[in-house]
Amino acid sequence: MNNDSKEVRLQGTPICRGVSIGKPILFLPAEETVPEFNLNDESLEAEIDRFRKAMRLSRKELETLQKSLYTEDLHESATILESQLQMMQDPMLTTHIEHAILSTRKNAESVFQNQVDQYKIKFDTIKDPFFQDRFRDVQDISRRVMGYLRAKQRLSLASISPDSIVFAKELTAADTAEANNAAASALVTEYGGPASHAAIVAKSKGTPYVSSIPLEGIDPSAHSLAIVDGRTGEVILSPNLDTLRHYQHIRSQLQDHLDKLEDIKNLRPETFDGYTVRLSANIEMASELESLHIHGGNGVGLFRSEFICLSQDSFPSEEEQFAIYKELVEKMRGLPIVIRTFDVGGDKCLSMQQNKETNPFLGCRAIRFLLKEKNIFKSQLRAVLRASAFGDVSIMFPMISTLSELLEAKEIISEAQKELKSEGKKYGYVRIGCMIEVPSAAIIADLLAKECDFLSIGTNDLVQYALAVDRSNHEMSSLYTPTHPSVLRLIKLIVHEATHQGIPVAICGEVAADPRFTPLLLGLGVHELSVATRYLPAVKQAIRNTSIVEASRLAEQALMLTTASDIQALLTQEYKHNSPDDCFYNY
Amino acid sequence: MIHVTKVKVKNKMGLHTRPATAIVKLLQSAKCDVFFTHKQETVNAKSILSLLMLAAKRNSSITITTQGVDAEKTMNSLVSAFENHFGENV
Repeated sequence: MNNDSKEVRLQGTPICRGVSIGKPILFLPAEETVPEFNLNDESLEAEIDRFRKAMRLSRKELETLQKSLYTEDLHESATILESQLQMMQDPMLTTHIEHAILSTRKNAESVFQNQVDQYKIKFDTIKDPFFQDRFRDVQDISRRVMGYLRAKQRLSLASISPDSIVFAKELTAADTAEANNAAASALVTEYGGPASHAAIVAKSKGTPYVSSIPLEGIDPSAHSLAIVDGRTGEVILSPNLDTLRHYQHIRSQLQDHLDKLEDIKNLRPETFDGYTVRLSANIEMASELESLHIHGGNGVGLFRSEFICLSQDSFPSEEEQFAIYKELVEKMRGLPIVIRTFDVGGDKCLSMQQNKETNPFLGCRAIRFLLKEKNIFKSQLRAVLRASAFGDVSIMFPMISTLSELLEAKEIISEAQKELKSEGKKYGYVRIGCMIEVPSAAIIADLLAKECDFLSIGTNDLVQYALAVDRSNHEMSSLYTPTHPSVLRLIKLIVHEATHQGIPVAICGEVAADPRFTPLLLGLGVHELSVATRYLPAVKQAIRNTSIVEASRLAEQALMLTTASDIQALLTQEYKHNSPDDCFYNY
Repeated sequence: MIHVTKVKVKNKMGLHTRPATAIVKLLQSAKCDVFFTHKQETVNAKSILSLLMLAAKRNSSITITTQGVDAEKTMNSLVSAFENHFGENV
């Protein structure tokens, strides 16, 4: 431990909670400037060999990465790599380059860079943004190959030691997957918000992650040790002995807390005065169901069906979808599953949506897209209905903003049921519900509730739309406050109207997974919480640590407060009181 | 022997990554030369990057030229692949 160097404290934005202590490594993509020099006759052949070797090694690296993605069920990322592998065999990136090395008698990296630059010019002239975007794959390949061609060894995140803390300007899909496989203990980046690819992967694995740390002028790899606090956003380089002891203590407390959560996996999600809540999971693929059963979840409150087509350039056919949904339903082992129809558009931009909108979040997304593309919608509904013959299935519509959308969607369900009946195909009873994520839908919750079997509040979008704050805009993040009094009032209104109609309300946004919100949500009368499987134990613990009487009082108290920060402070204080041992949130 | 046939792109998103990958894979074993002409631009069909650079949208027409020993056989399999829109939903 180096006591001579002074500790350096940096403040960034916390993305994924947790504390990690490890060896900092700086991950830099190949440098921008490429050396160019002339070759003599004797070295020409060797240069071609060097180029071929770089290509071979890059291809091998991609193949290994692709294999590991498939074993981890990350099909979306794996398909991206498939087309990159094809490109690496393209004559334009192989024989052309070799010929150019021979004719120009220049070194491989300068020739390669030159060619890639020319392809970029060509791609830039394409008017269609979808085709233009394909150049990103070429860039990704070129970075990889250049890494091998450069004199300095390319630093691959796949080979870092498990205790490493990765510092980078930005991490791509492939980088994050590599870092993830190598079990990096934490990530620190300059760019990348809570919605970035790196953030999603980090959260799914629980890897501490801090972003918005400017790397200009600091060299993390010159320090022997770093601490990342994903709760506060603090990054400490070369910590002094006291700091290190402090964080070692916190780290073991965090681990103890996680170990204790293991003990309650078979217990019911009920408050200590006996009020039972449904605790379900948000999932994206069938492989996550294992974890649902392990953690004792009550069902799936949200299956994000669009994930089955995000990796493709087209929507899967009815038969393909039927196979997927049937497998899901069977793997539920009798537990209920809510399948949300394709929520495309907004931040989940499918390549087949041709028109680029200036404001996609207010544009043709989710139910609006489905009602416009009725064939796609109906084939999905038919597939879900057929799968409902094998278990307990509900259908949920995303982003309803007006009653007529719900009625039209329900009409298409009955059409699909009639068709299936006349074709002699089996289907079961399905419950129908809608997401409440637009303020207009919250305000007419009474009208929607009359036509539904359940409502589900998507708080991420509801907060964004109610406060008119883009949650991916880093500059505005201080305005994105789920504890805003307006949000609480909307939730209260929705629950009130649904209860009046005798139907349950679930919450499936990120606040459902934050245990500090649990008593408030229960107190507001929410019947079901649906969270990523990783958060099931923490939320169950929070439910079991509260009483419904206290929760109702807390909700009343929160509704009297006037600012988001006051309400946040109340929740934090209450959580500290109820769960003093949880260092993930108490610090 | 030179074979020339005109085909239509039926895929919803045009000749995008997946159809282009399918074409390149299909031509991996072909011995003949294969060229695609679209909007007065002619490219080597064995190059996925060239195919993508054509930026051929849905319903655009492409002239296929094959030349060499297995030119006829290659043309037939290409034409039927286009007709089946490369196994994708349209």
